[in-house]
Amino acid sequence: MVRLRKNEQQTLLTIAHLGGKAKVSQIVTTSNLSHAAVMRAALTLSKEKLLQIHEQKQTIAWLTKEGEIYEKNGLPERCLIESLNSLGGKAKIDKTVKNARLEGQRVPIALGWLRIKGWATIERKENTLTALKKPQIGIDEEVMALIARADKGRIVVEELEKKERGAIATLRKRKLLAVEEKILRTLEISLHGQKLLKKGVAPDEEVSQLTPELIVSKKWRTKKLRKFNVTAPGAPIYPGKIHPLQQIIERARKIFLEMGFTEIRGPLVETAFWNFDALFQPQDHPAREMHDTFYLSVPKAGQLPNKKVVDAVTKTHENGWTTGSKGWGYPWSAAEGRRLVLRTHTTAETIKYLSAQQKPPIKVFSVDRVYRNEQLTYKNTAEFHQIEGIVMDKGATLRDLMGTLKTFYERFGLETVQFWPSYFPYTEPSAQAMVYVPKLHHWIELCGMGMFRPEVLAPMDIKHPVLAWGGGLDRLAMVELGLDDIRLLHGNRLGWIRRTPACQ
Amino acid sequence: MPVITLQRDKFSDFIRRDITLKEMTDWLPWLGFDIEEVGEDNVKVEFNPNRIDFSSYAGVARAFKGLRGWETGLPNYDVRSGGTVLSIDEAVSKVRPFMLAAVVSNVKLDEGEVVDLMEMQEDLHWGIGRDRKKASIGVHNLDVVKSPFTFTAVEPDSVRFVPLDRTEEMSLKEILQKHEKGTAYRHLIDWSPKYPLLIDASGEVLSVPPIINGELTRVTEKTRNLLLDVTGTSLAAVEKCLNVLSTALADMGGTLEQVTVNYPDRTVLSPNLDPQTMKLRTAYAAELLGLGFSDSEIVECLEKCRLGARKAGTGVLEVKIPAYRIDILHEVDLVEEIAIGHGYYNLKPTFPASVTIGRQHPTCKAANTARQIMIGLSFTEALNFTLTNENLHYQKMRRKPVQSVTLANPVSAEYTITRQDLLPGLIQNLADNKHESFPQKLFEVSDVIVLNNSTETGCERRMHVAAVSSYSTANYTEMKSTVEAFLANMGLTQWKMIRAKHPTFIEGRAASIKVNNQPTGIVGEIHPEVLNLFELENPTAAFEVDLEAILD
Repeated sequence: MVRLRKNEQQTLLTIAHLGGKAKVSQIVTTSNLSHAAVMRAALTLSKEKLLQIHEQKQTIAWLTKEGEIYEKNGLPERCLIESLNSLGGKAKIDKTVKNARLEGQRVPIALGWLRIKGWATIERKENTLTALKKPQIGIDEEVMALIARADKGRIVVEELEKKERGAIATLRKRKLLAVEEKILRTLEISLHGQKLLKKGVAPDEEVSQLTPELIVSKKWRTKKLRKFNVTAPGAPIYPGKIHPLQQIIERARKIFLEMGFTEIRGPLVETAFWNFDALFQPQDHPAREMHDTFYLSVPKAGQLPNKKVVDAVTKTHENGWTTGSKGWGYPWSAAEGRRLVLRTHTTAETIKYLSAQQKPPIKVFSVDRVYRNEQLTYKNTAEFHQIEGIVMDKGATLRDLMGTLKTFYERFGLETVQFWPSYFPYTEPSAQAMVYVPKLHHWIELCGMGMFRPEVLAPMDIKHPVLAWGGGLDRLAMVELGLDDIRLLHGNRLGWIRRTPACQ
Repeated sequence: MPVITLQRDKFSDFIRRDITLKEMTDWLPWLGFDIEEVGEDNVKVEFNPNRIDFSSYAGVARAFKGLRGWETGLPNYDVRSGGTVLSIDEAVSKVRPFMLAAVVSNVKLDEGEVVDLMEMQEDLHWGIGRDRKKASIGVHNLDVVKSPFTFTAVEPDSVRFVPLDRTEEMSLKEILQKHEKGTAYRHLIDWSPKYPLLIDASGEVLSVPPIINGELTRVTEKTRNLLLDVTGTSLAAVEKCLNVLSTALADMGGTLEQVTVNYPDRTVLSPNLDPQTMKLRTAYAAELLGLGFSDSEIVECLEKCRLGARKAGTGVLEVKIPAYRIDILHEVDLVEEIAIGHGYYNLKPTFPASVTIGRQHPTCKAANTARQIMIGLSFTEALNFTLTNENLHYQKMRRKPVQSVTLANPVSAEYTITRQDLLPGLIQNLADNKHESFPQKLFEVSDVIVLNNSTETGCERRMHVAAVSSYSTANYTEMKSTVEAFLANMGLTQWKMIRAKHPTFIEGRAASIKVNNQPTGIVGEIHPEVLNLFELENPTAAFEVDLEAILD
């Protein structure tokens, strides 16, 4: 004798009540069981050969946004032919278009369909249109109207006539329709099932959900706990999660902290003075131009630090001051230094910090937000994260900088790191740390690095060598996360965040 | 950054050795080049703007031969005296005051080299000339014009000539209005009542610096003798351009001849390719690099970088710098040359000896605590940009715009201001993720920027926390419990919820959160009109708290 569980029993009885054969959706509404429960029951019942599952493909079609607009206002070719007829059946293209109030991008579409539908001819040389025949309402327009009137704006394509189905294909190509394929399932009680129903279905004595009552009263001893299909797929659960990029930011922060660096955090809006001038970047440097740096219109200008520092920076730019440098040889402008920018590097905060904290050794870092005036593309964003590390110490050397970086990146998991000569306006000697990426077959830049120039140190009264390095974190994160489009890193696509393991 | 494509065979000619592509890609990085692309028989490399002398084969070859030890020390450039004379008219001093020139005779340029020469000119215009403002170059066929030359300034309508790439005469005014170079660079001179003009002994026009040359002096592969002119607003920039260009042409086989340049108040002989001299303390170099080099080892490294060096007293070297090296400003620049000559690949990394203890920044530490609490409450983190726009930040949130930090030069309509709240970004995230399964619970712990007159920059960065919960039965009650769980786990024992009116939230379903009697946040159920504006279909509740305010 077959024992049926409650849901299975209810499903079977509901189908019988509905005449022995019913759509799943009908069973769900009638029985008040959930869709998943009915389907689970159906699978078991079908295994027991008590019912049969019939599957039928169903194509649901609905109008796209563009389709909805056309349905309301008429297809572009319809607008155009009506406009042409109102102009007497022959007219210049421009005039017809203007009269039809057709948007520019829709004109080629409209002209193409006018010809295909044989409603008008186009004289290219004279740029005129001539109407040919009375434009009957086409099957495509009828179908669009049909869909617009349908329940929830959706129709089942299979229920249409052949001619109408042809129009569906054309409208899909024109992107005026969207379709989705669904499987429609119908459940039918088998002969075996009917026999069972006649005999009467045995009540279920197995316990599915253990309850506090059963536990406390110890009644569970008299019940049978049902065996579950422990391998059946369950609904996915997504844990709360730190954003993958933030996980990588954390990794970088931890390495710095383990290496004895202290974290600093400065403002996102800076004066050009701290962002550029204090770092010996001349005021006509290309990086300072509007197409590289975001300047502010509100607020427009900030305050400069004390006169002593400003004077020293002014003279260093103009003639090298007491630094032994030639300087850049131009008149330095305080107004230019007061302009506010969204900081282009975290070094703006570093130099400010070093100007105030001067007892060696100092080891500080930041992993923080910076800006560049860039269009959003697959490899650039206007806003990104920069890693920056600084060592100020008696007798610190270029080789110490290389050693510090090598350790840092090794801990990141990057072993093949080289240091190539490079150039930055505020460091000398300068280098760039490069890592070989076997997957890409080439070296990519991890960061720029160097020792602060005397022209940077002297005006801030910094007496010991400063080792500095800085680089974008986002590119490193892309390599680590296997992304080739930076927009994915910042797009906050929930699917991607949910899929990416929490161990970056 | 500027780039140069080096054909292997042509580069081999310049270094007088047959070299493989691999040898080129292996060694060029050690001079500071980035390998952009490796072609079938060429390498495209990027170079730093301070080494604008790398804009020609000759420049790269000089350095390459030095680094490999094939040809070291200071390169010599002979400049013969010559009969060419150039007069600078007082009239031009107000619009483009400086001009220097050089003659290069007996050059043989093939078609490719004429193109290279033009590319080098463009690199110099960009790197030194600041897009022709500070300096710009003209290269002319000397044989079709006659010395003495005059650099003067004339009325825009007074002179007509055929500019490059045209067949008909145009006036200076027409060139500025119609010629593509004229429209591109007219801002450099059109404010002046008179425009600069370079003419020869018989009044033939060579060029309108810095706009365009005449067709008359066009340089082709048949040209044998060149006149180089550089004009500008900065004498230093003019000099640098001329030095880099003339040394490159000399290395390509030309013979340099002096031009006598007569300014109203002085006469100079141009080009002046005498090397500059700079002192270098060897102990200073050793300290920075962490290398215990002898003086002679340092001299050897410098010579590999094509510098001249000799001992000039104890621990001091006298270094001679060739005229094309425009980047040496300070003794420290010579220290880098030592490292390059020695080879960066030979520098063994060491680790700084001092012991230090690292500390987190308190705000970042608190932000991480906030993140831990929020993921414990099943929320997933989003990371949005601080850049946003008024429509998203205010209009779609049903709020009246208030003054925010505003960009002077936005690159798109999407990013015009910086955010003062995190919530608009999170709501946008929900709108972008409608196709994903529900419930959707997102949070962000990140920066906002608010105006604040008491700071040096008139604004202030603050760390906020915000969260949204969106699904078919999301509501105020749940979100209030969430924010209270958050506050309690941040260590707060007291806060107040006060009924609040806020256009983003449903009336009667929003509360302001007060800590120490200061408003520090808001919690509520999002107004259905906001949901409609973002095309969201599920009820959504949200909170936002100023994290720094609850730490104070």
